[in-house]
Amino acid sequence: MAKKLTVKDRERCIGCYCCMFACTRVWYGALGIEKSAMRVKNYPGVEGAFSVRVCQACKQPECAAACPTGALRLAKRGFGVELVRELCTHCRKCVRACAANALQWDEQLQIPIACRHCGICVRYCPTNVLTMQEVV
Amino acid sequence: MYRMLSIDLSSGKIEERDISDIFKKFIGGSGVLTYLAAQELTKELDPFSERAPIYFALGPLNGYFPSMSKTVALFKSPLTGDLGESHAGGRMSLAMLSANVHVLRIVGKASQPVYLSIDGDRVAMIPCSSLWGRSALATERILREKEDHRKGKKSIVRIGPAGERLSPIACVTVDSSRHFGRLGLGAVMGSKNLKAIVISGSECPKIENKKAYQELYDRIFKELIESENTYKYRDLGTAANVVPLSKIMGLPTRNFSQGFFESAHTISGEYFADHLLAQQISCAHCPIGCIHMGVFRELFADPHMYKTLKTSYDHELIYSLGSNLSIAKAEELLKIIHFVERQGWDAISIGVVLAWATEAFQRGLITLEETAGLALNFGDAETYLKVLENIAIERNEFYKDLEKGVAYCAKKYGGEEFAICFNKNEAPGYMTGPDAFVGYAVGVRHSHLDCAGYSFDQKYLGRAEDVEKEVKAMYEEAVWRMITNSLVMCLFARGVYTPKTVLECLNVVGYNLDEQSLDRVAHTIHGMKYIIKEKLGFDFAKLNLPKKLLTVYTSRGKMNEDSFKKRVEFYSKLVEEDKELALRAV
Ligand code: SF4
Ligand code: SF4
Ligand code: SF4
Repeated sequence: MAKKLTVKDRERCIGCYCCMFACTRVWYGALGIEKSAMRVKNYPGVEGAFSVRVCQACKQPECAAACPTGALRLAKRGFGVELVRELCTHCRKCVRACAANALQWDEQLQIPIACRHCGICVRYCPTNVLTMQEVV
Repeated sequence: MYRMLSIDLSSGKIEERDISDIFKKFIGGSGVLTYLAAQELTKELDPFSERAPIYFALGPLNGYFPSMSKTVALFKSPLTGDLGESHAGGRMSLAMLSANVHVLRIVGKASQPVYLSIDGDRVAMIPCSSLWGRSALATERILREKEDHRKGKKSIVRIGPAGERLSPIACVTVDSSRHFGRLGLGAVMGSKNLKAIVISGSECPKIENKKAYQELYDRIFKELIESENTYKYRDLGTAANVVPLSKIMGLPTRNFSQGFFESAHTISGEYFADHLLAQQISCAHCPIGCIHMGVFRELFADPHMYKTLKTSYDHELIYSLGSNLSIAKAEELLKIIHFVERQGWDAISIGVVLAWATEAFQRGLITLEETAGLALNFGDAETYLKVLENIAIERNEFYKDLEKGVAYCAKKYGGEEFAICFNKNEAPGYMTGPDAFVGYAVGVRHSHLDCAGYSFDQKYLGRAEDVEKEVKAMYEEAVWRMITNSLVMCLFARGVYTPKTVLECLNVVGYNLDEQSLDRVAHTIHGMKYIIKEKLGFDFAKLNLPKKLLTVYTSRGKMNEDSFKKRVEFYSKLVEEDKELALRAV
């Protein structure tokens, strides 16, 4: 069975962002973190506590259900989503619908960033916060 | 394209400039800023005047490669009057890159307290009188929350009350406990009524040459993760040095009276890790994770009312506020560090000042009258906290003077022979011998980071001295660091970024350099710095050791004044050629 990206041990996160750099680099050929499909966020005033937000790999994604044009849809692998870019009208309904606040938004292109569950970010995490897990 | 954003806080004028040609010539970071600021920094320039510039810069590999994670600041130091340069980590370099700002130049003075907000293309000066007086920590909390709606990672760069009071030993704090620590940048920001800079953006520069780049990236990343050399910085961090240094009599204790601290093991990296370490954190895009956060839980009311302080520690702080003040309890030390962190002083400088004050008190140069009734004793953490509090509330003239730096205090109250500073900059935490001290004296920043003299001392432990060889080695290290500082890399990754690897990286991002040309740039930058420094009053011939250091035992035995002079002279000769090279290049 296919695997999905999951957070194994959030508390081990050192906030290095190597995961987000990797996603942005490998999938978009770009530098930085803004194109990453997953996010690590620090809170105001809480030294060293990071929230690590990844696509929940839903089988019935609420973001896709909210998409009025069918641009964002259940991915062929059976969980998570994929985007048909030409159909996207940039309405943002998808990101608002994701209750886990896990679907990210590309500010430059004004489209959602669908996680591919490829596991690249996992490979660059120096402290094993992330893992790939069997989808059951 | 490399872009400079220039902001005049007096007029509100904002200018952009393409400085790609300067990056081509001087790599980036420190090299580019030294060139840019060369004309502006004059002897007459008052560091607190509107014309005094603050520069921040990235290097060409920031964002591209891991642990290229720092930002460099250049300014005229209000502490020394000399060239001021300081480096900080955190998320600032990521944020600048995302805002497409490679160099940020700030001049002028706002008419009221403001913070500078840079969010991609949107630049604004936002009045913030209500933030004036807030601690460095509160300011970050407030601004992070206030600006939380922004897309992209924000970096919050701010001063504490010490910078507002124009203390020339005030630092600038970046995100979670990273600092532009040395040489008083905090006061320069304060003099401009600039409480903070909040910077973010959503640019993601495109990568050319993707395949070669990714291969190189992976090789470096793997080395950074696997190498023992970098792992030690995550494990115990620089605090791992405390006990070994004390063992070789290289850990400054009680105002540099000796290098052995009898309680080193209770403020050691090991002790901190076992008892107080909460976690390690990292700068953006650095897998090393060297920032050690200590937590300290304190009972503040019976029976079970606790509060918890969380603050970062490392070797320099453990020396300056620990062994050098004879503080033997790590918990007390964390409390002192926390206070310093909130006020926003450079931790090394304020520690050296407290140590001098204690010795001056014990020798009767200052009395209870000046200290407003406090008797200063080495090891007395409670009193030191009161002293810091008194400085913070500007209790009297003496306390106001203390935050003006140790050279100022010693000149006014006496005790210059035991004011441990080099070119007015308070000394860092190594008394390993002549290479450390000579390094502080001759280095471009008067810091241990200029040429790592402490490590050469350790190589020569128990061996006969070889003045020329040692000085030459230090000089070569200093010259190479012109490159690391221009890349603005984290020095903890220096073992991985060998000259060969650096060349590969630079060439993958579009430079066209070989070993020789890189070497020439390094020497040129080195020369440029000394030309500026000498213009500002620095003079090799006037360099001296604080008298006290001639009488104490270092790791390599007693210092010898002649050897010190000889080393300095030899170093200055080596610099001559660099200056000539620089004159030809600019
Ligand atoms: S932004 Fe695009 S993908 Fe998202 S809901 Fe709207 S149309 Fe669908
Ligand atoms: S699994 Fe792949 S697509 Fe998803 S966040 Fe990680 S790197 Fe990006
Ligand atoms: S790579 Fe791992 S440790 Fe670093 S930010 Fe991402 S999840 Fe956290």
